[in-house]
Order: sequence, then structure tokens, then C-alpha cells
Amino acid sequence: MNIYQSKINFNDDFPLRHPADVMKLDRLGSFHQTRLSFSRQLIDELISNNWKTEIIKWNINSIGTGNAVIKISSKQRIYSLVVFCHQINDDERSDRVIAEKWDMTFSLFLGIPSKEELDEMSKNLKIQELGRHLPKQLTLSRANKSVRVFNSVLNNLSEGKQPDKKMINNIGYLVRTTAVYGNGKFGIADYLPETNDNPLNKPFQAEMLTVYLIRYFSIELVNYLAKEKGKDKSITLSNEISKHVGVGNATGLGMAPFLINHQKLIHKWIQARETAISRVLSIKKLSTYNQTKIFNLIERAYLYTTQWNVDDVIQSKRINVLRKELKDISNNESLNDILNNDYPLQNVYLHFVNKISIETQEILNSIFIEPFPELLDDLTNEMGTDEQNTVAIGYKVNELIKIIKDKYSWALKIDIKKPDENFYFWYTSQAKLEPRLGATQIDHGKEKELPFDIPKQVQNALKILTKLPDDMTGAEAMILHPEIRNIIKRAIINENFPFSEIQNNLVGKKVRPIDLLRCKLSFFGATKYDPKSNLWTRITLFQGAPLPHQLQEENATEWLFPYLVNA
Amino acid sequence: MLNVSLNEIYSETYKAYRSIGIEWGIAKDGANLSRWLAEHNFYFLGSILKNADLYKTGKISLSLKKNTFKKPFSAALMGLLLVEYISSDNVKWQGYVYDYKFLIASMAIIAKEQNINLILKDNKTTIAYTLEKNIFLQKDKIINTNYFYLEPFHLKEKLSLNHLETLKALPVPKVNKNCWERLKLMAFETYVPESETSKTGAGY
Repeated sequence: MNIYQSKINFNDDFPLRHPADVMKLDRLGSFHQTRLSFSRQLIDELISNNWKTEIIKWNINSIGTGNAVIKISSKQRIYSLVVFCHQINDDERSDRVIAEKWDMTFSLFLGIPSKEELDEMSKNLKIQELGRHLPKQLTLSRANKSVRVFNSVLNNLSEGKQPDKKMINNIGYLVRTTAVYGNGKFGIADYLPETNDNPLNKPFQAEMLTVYLIRYFSIELVNYLAKEKGKDKSITLSNEISKHVGVGNATGLGMAPFLINHQKLIHKWIQARETAISRVLSIKKLSTYNQTKIFNLIERAYLYTTQWNVDDVIQSKRINVLRKELKDISNNESLNDILNNDYPLQNVYLHFVNKISIETQEILNSIFIEPFPELLDDLTNEMGTDEQNTVAIGYKVNELIKIIKDKYSWALKIDIKKPDENFYFWYTSQAKLEPRLGATQIDHGKEKELPFDIPKQVQNALKILTKLPDDMTGAEAMILHPEIRNIIKRAIINENFPFSEIQNNLVGKKVRPIDLLRCKLSFFGATKYDPKSNLWTRITLFQGAPLPHQLQEENATEWLFPYLVNA
Repeated sequence: MLNVSLNEIYSETYKAYRSIGIEWGIAKDGANLSRWLAEHNFYFLGSILKNADLYKTGKISLSLKKNTFKKPFSAALMGLLLVEYISSDNVKWQGYVYDYKFLIASMAIIAKEQNINLILKDNKTTIAYTLEKNIFLQKDKIINTNYFYLEPFHLKEKLSLNHLETLKALPVPKVNKNCWERLKLMAFETYVPESETSKTGAGY
């Protein structure tokens, strides 16, 4: 539905939150899944274009090794998930990115692979980064079983019993991916955003489709092995439990620099989210139906938090606060009146914002957006972009100085001479060619650091620019001082795309990279963030999402806040 | 020959440039030019390696003014900055250029992104120009000089040059395996052995 034909009376001129408020790590690190998240967009696509899933090859033996091909197709497109299952020893199974063996390796393939292509993949998929891969492969991935859950489910099903719901909920998945590579890595296909007729042209849709099919495969595999083991006595995993099975993922620093390296893209993501929030906050009246939906979603969010339990002390405290605040909001006597009056969502927000944590503020935003998919259609189409390679021309030195002073005031306030503001440096590791964080005073390699010390670059550029003639062009200034090109380009992009810069010192002692990960993962649609340190987290994807055979069921698009009854 | 992706070309090129001390912004420019050339089926990999060698030995200039026959201007590194300078200052530029195809890539990129029209000539004829976000060039012209003229293009009509079209299919550049390995070895120089303290980021 075109938003301007919507019956919802929203105002598109309603102001967005200011980048200085939004682009702080403590807020970005409190984001939750929304209707705009990429896994949600994928499910919407699978539903609206009636995609069909079919296992077309199943050469898996009774101990779970072999290969399979799962075809997924719409009227226009065919992709397939190529799967190889391997036998590995328990001591070889590791989430460490330096692992060299995995229970399963995968690739999303354009079309159906030929025998020759399958043969080629059988040699290269199992060695992942060390292999050279085919240009028709869209992704490259691997996963390990959560052995305790997988074996327990297998044993129960083979004996004709459903598994323990509490265990299923506590872990949340049968398999856990340790990487999902896309966009040209190791010889696979480049992401081509210009191909508008491609359903995977939106950000991370190929990766999301891969994970969704891995989830389906993991359930099919455990059902198959249970049948092999228990024969006639065996049963299959119930629909209720299957739907609550997601795919686990262990995510470390590898994905953190993405938010810094792709300025325009990040702006697009955040702007879409902020626009969605502003649109729903500007709604003047809510129908009784939507008032009830908001009530139910607050209650559902509360239930979700009761099943979100982690060991991490900081996150655990945050969840406890979130739980209490959601309950307080739900029980608040004025909530009913506020929802029944003008500008209900805006007034709910204003009523509670100063009494609740950032984590709760952001879960409310997810709740507010949820009932209004018709207000978001145009936004989901605006979340991809080409990055800019040239620096916009026409800026004079005095204008660049003004941009820096206006847009980077946060960076100019940081005393970059203090050791605590240079506590870390980012680098690419030799072992796995992935970004890592080093301690400046301890680790070697500072001279090879990645350019994420934005405040330092900004301050250096300002010093240089103030010594140049005001009317000199930016291009000439950069020719004279190539060392400022990187930050001048960033600043000009930020002038035009205000949500493109994280407003914290990413090399300072206080930085929590986990916040960068959580922000990106929220756009993936992750749930049950389970930080294992400040540097890596486990999460679950597609928990609660409809399975392929459930895609055309009523309310299949509504799976925010997964919750398993009696778990 | 080896199939590589455009993303790999970008990533390995900018790391390789970084490994010889080229500034971040310039290294990224150079990587973008390489990717464009690969995407449009130009020979690029040997040119990058040669540019890197010339840069290391001081036989290439990054200056718009101080370039000579023996020490020409590096279009591979500074091409994008040059086209931005000509466009923003609305000036004509001439000079000795090493590997002018990087100028063509620069013209094409700025034309597409900022709709800027430029024209590149040698001492006699037009080699390439940009108009309405497209680039037109004499693909088979034999160039016997390394002295070029680059300036804003104000003509409203097309000249009779071939139109270079962007490849529509999945572009899968093929590169010489040995050259690729050499580029990767240069890129490897930018990596750092992991310390014990930072290993936790890998989910250890």
C-alpha cells in the first residue's frame, strides 16, 4: 500500500530524533529487532511472492554426514542452499573463527548447481576461507551443532517424545553459524545493488536467506536422523517447537568496522528506522484494534524478556530493568487513556521516556512500529545504496571548517592527547584477516592501525585547514594534504547524510565494541543477545519466524518477540 | 588465470597501496579505480603493481605541477583527486601522466556520481569525454605520448566516439594468478599478528 493512501493519519514532517542523540553507542547498542530488520524483510518477501521450498537432493546417511540441496523458488527466481555435513571430533568443534573444521558447510547458489559445480563445491566449501569459490555462489557459511540440544532433541524424537521446552528455549537453536560471508568474499559473487529486479538486492537478503534455509535444514536433519534411529517409534519435532528453533550465531569484531566503513549505508538504515519511529509517533488517533495491539505487544515484549536470560552481568542487569519497566508500563493506569487520546504513541513515549532505560525506550520503538507495516513499505526500499567514491565538489576550505565545527563538535571536545582516548587501535589480524582491537600500550602493530580514530583525524584536519586560504577549494586542499582526504570525504558525506557517523571515540578506553555489533545485529533482526565479553556475542536469528510450510498462514508476518509457552 | 570478485580487487588493492605507505584516502581512491577498470574489462593488475613499484622507487609524481617525462603524474593514485580539482576549480590541466587509463576511470566515476563532464585529449585528438553521466572513448586509439590535456567539457552534443557501456552480467574479472599473489603479498604486509589480549574478539 502506498503510504499516502494509508488510512493511518500520520505526519511525514514530524521531526526525526537528532543524530547527536541517536548515533551514540549506548543507544545504538540498545536497538532491538523491528519490522524493518532484514530477516523480517526476507520473510515478507517469501510470503508476498509465494516462494516455495523443496529438498531436491538428500544424500545424508544415518550418522548425519553427506550432502543435500534445498531449492527455493518464486515465479521469477531460483536459488539453492548447498549443504555438506561432515564428521568431526568433539574437540575440533569450536566457535573460534580460527577453527578449520565444522559440522556443516553451506553456500547459497544462484540457480541449481550442476554435478560439476557440486563436485567443485565439495572440495572448497569444507575449507571455507582457504578455498576459491564459484562466482555463482552468493554466500559462504558454516555451522556447528549445539551438541547438547541436538542430541537431546534427536534422542527424544527417536523415542517418540517431544524435547524439553525449557532446554529448547534456553539455547534457542540446533545449530550455530560461525560466519556467513557474502559480497565477493573468497571469489563468490559480488553484491550488485543496481539489479532492481533481484529480490536479494536489498541489504543482506542473500545472507538472511542462507540462514533461514540453514534453520530449515537443521530441523529437517534432526527429524531425519530421529527417524533413522527410532524407525516407527520416532516422531517429528512439533510445529510449536520448530517455530521457536532459530539459528544461533557467534559474532565477534569481524562485523564491527562495517558500520564505520559504509557511511551512506548506515545512514540509510538509521534514517529508515528513525523515519519509521517519527511516522508512528505522529499518528493522531489509534483505532481500538491498534490500541489493543500495542497493549498486547508490550505484554509480549515482557514475556520475551522473561525468557531472555544471559550470564553477562551488565546485560543481565539491563534485562532485569527492562522487564520491570515493561511491567510498570503495562500496569500503568494512565496507559489506556493516553492510547485513547490524540497523538497516543508520542504521548506514551513522552510519559515514560524520563523514567525508563535506553534499552526500554528502544524496545518501545520496536513495539510502536510493529502494527503499521503499511507505513514502512517505502522505507524498506530505501535501505540500500551505492557508496560514494568521489568527494562532492564545490566545498571551499571555510565551508569544510564550518562542517567540521558543526557536525564533529563531539570529536573536537575529546582530548586526544590523553592515553585513555588512545587506549585501543583497530587492526586486521594476520591469522584470519579479520578486524581486531589491540591495546596501544601493550600490543604491537599500532603503525598498521585502521583509520577509525575519527576524533584525531578531525582535529588534525581542522589544524591543517585553518592554515589554508578560506576560498581554496577542498579539492586543492586535499591535493596539498592527501593525509586529510579520508576525513574530509567522511565529513562531507556526514554533512549530507547525518546518521553516517557514530559519535563516540572508537579508540577510547570506554568503547564497548559489543554496542557496534548489537546495532548491526538488530538490523539483521537478531534476538536474545547474549554477550560473552565486550568483544563478542551470541544471538539467535529467525526464532519465532514461520517455517517454509507456514509462510502462507494468517499472521505469518508477525513474529516480533519470540516466546515459547510453558518453557 | 584466476576468477576474482570486484570486492576482492578493491580490498586487496587498497591494502597493497597502504603497505607502501600511501595515505588512506588516496589508497581507497586507487582501489576504486582498479575496481572500475576490472569491471569494464581493462587490464589493471599489472598496472597497479607497476605503479606501486614506481611509487616505492620515487619514479612517479603525486604533484599536479611537478611532473616530467621521466617522473610522470600517477593517475592510478591521484586520478580521482585530479578530476575533482579540475571540476571544482573549473581549470584546464596538462601534464605527463603514467597510465592514462586511470584518468578514464576517474572521469567515468565522477561523471556517474556527480554528473560532471570532462574531456581528455593527447596533443592531437580527443581520447575520451563524459556527458550525461556516461563516458565515451576511442577504445582502440593508439596513444604514442604520455602528455595529456584534461579539462571541463562544455559541448552539448556527442562527439563521434564509441560509448563504453557498463557490463550488465555478473562481472567476473579474470586475473593473472602470479600477479594476484603478488598483490596479496603486499596486502599481507598490512596485517598484524594477533596478541593474546585481542584474541577474545574472535569469540575465543
